[in-house]
Amino acid sequence: MLEVQNLAKSFYGAAAVDGVSFRVEDGEILGFLGPNGAGKTTTMRMITGFLPPTAGTVTLAGLDVLARPLEAKRHLGYLPETLALYPEMRVREYMTYRAELCGVPRRETKARVDEAIGKCFVDDVATKPIGNLSKGYRQRVGLAAALVHKPRVLVLDEPTVGLDPRQIVKVRELIRDLKKDHTILLSTHILPEVELVCDRILIIDKGKIVAQGTSETLRQEMSQHPGLVVVLKGEISEADAALHQIPGVTHAARIGAAGETRVLIESAHGADLREAVFREVTARGWTLLELTPRQASLEDVFVRLVAKEEAAPETDSEAKSRERATTVEVPKFTEDPS
Amino acid sequence: MKALVAILKREFFSYFVSPLAYVILTAFLLVSGTVFVLLVNALNAPETSSTAMMSLYFTNVFQWIFLMIVSSVISMRLLSEERKSGSIESLLTAPVSEATVVTGKFIGAWCFFLFLFLPTLVYPLLLARVSRIDAGPVLSGYLGIALIGALFISAGTFASALTKNQIVAAILAFAIVLGSFLVGIFRDVLPSANLRDALSYLSILEHMDDFSRGIVDTRRLVYVGSTVTFFLFLATRALEVNKGK
Repeated sequence: MLEVQNLAKSFYGAAAVDGVSFRVEDGEILGFLGPNGAGKTTTMRMITGFLPPTAGTVTLAGLDVLARPLEAKRHLGYLPETLALYPEMRVREYMTYRAELCGVPRRETKARVDEAIGKCFVDDVATKPIGNLSKGYRQRVGLAAALVHKPRVLVLDEPTVGLDPRQIVKVRELIRDLKKDHTILLSTHILPEVELVCDRILIIDKGKIVAQGTSETLRQEMSQHPGLVVVLKGEISEADAALHQIPGVTHAARIGAAGETRVLIESAHGADLREAVFREVTARGWTLLELTPRQASLEDVFVRLVAKEEAAPETDSEAKSRERATTVEVPKFTEDPS
Repeated sequence: MKALVAILKREFFSYFVSPLAYVILTAFLLVSGTVFVLLVNALNAPETSSTAMMSLYFTNVFQWIFLMIVSSVISMRLLSEERKSGSIESLLTAPVSEATVVTGKFIGAWCFFLFLFLPTLVYPLLLARVSRIDAGPVLSGYLGIALIGALFISAGTFASALTKNQIVAAILAFAIVLGSFLVGIFRDVLPSANLRDALSYLSILEHMDDFSRGIVDTRRLVYVGSTVTFFLFLATRALEVNKGK
């Protein structure tokens, strides 16, 4: 169990983290989401006792990190954002060193090291110097080092950074698997990752929590603009104008056409337009190929929440959301387990 | 305690995977050997005893200035490297205190400093072949070197906690030890006798003069012990303040 209460940190008078409170239950994965500079890393550093907070408390497995740091840190595994390992050490050597550092009993050291190395699939490089490893391997060695003393709480700052798509899938599976024995706080800027891995999401911006909940509740809360994607046979130039005339439609736009017409329409909150769209299309004699409700993605939620204060007009944020979606989307072949 | 041993072990062995260790080791043996040969030649008179010979070896000024450089180089990376690379974050989020980290690193570097002197044990053995040698002063001489070495390395550990730049740390450490060495030498110009007495503790040559003649004075042990503790305390405080920056 990890509990954070009214945590705050200011650097030279400027608040980096401002009154953050949350709780991660045993066996839960909490995703920590936010734009760069939102205060994710600062919060994590305070949780791990590396940075002293300006105000607030952190309780790790029932122990106050500030008051009893040594005992509390025994239950902590931490993968820092800027992972720095000792390049001259060999992987197994480093793991043994970490095990000794974290107070693993001597008799168990070898077994624990082997277990952690196996879990994070770094067996094949166990005898190589860390300095010779690729970024992906180094990241997994860091993860293995965070696990070696079987901590109750794991704090992972962007654990999949620098991994190739196949490794990302493996590490995600590993993290989901670790849930059984650990309480996990995970930060990331890869949005699909949060939905795939985390039980609950916490969005932070400018040092404050702006939203929290499961990805479903967040989406429901934020889907003020339910939409429909209408696909028609043939290229029909007047389709968007025609669909816009339907009562309740606030916006209709053609989004690309190659032998077919694809129109995205938006409506006021709560209105179900499917029937009206079908009637309009059949009345005009067009062939309806597809009629898909468009769900608000987590990207939309994120961009809306985070971009709100920048006072960007809606269409702009919409464009940003699409842009974001294309940049953060993980390539399809990542789902290939081989 | 286990964590302390883990840190000092890592620190000690990490010297041997960098070229620095071998450069220091070679340079040290070169200088030390040269000093030894020059002294043997200079004192190659029948009335000089071999024990006095080792005594001169222990109190040689050039040798000590060189040792100041060596100890500054040995200790410069201790904390500054960890802070620069960011590995200090992994280290300090493990269940260890700043004091343990500082002490472990200090002992690791000190062990390497002592390791440098391992080959010089040949000198008294060589002398023992050609002449009678008194083991007591030689042993206390080595004890003196170990203690003064601890002093140098602790100052270097403190300097290394102050900056992320290893070169700056080395220069700072050298300035601290050379400064106190010079104050110890030139204290005679001071008007107050009490002050001269007090500052005599800074004089490494005076300490070594005693040790090399076989005198192990508890005042000197207390002086070294308390100064080392003081520097390590400062290093710990500096690390606590600087770690996140």
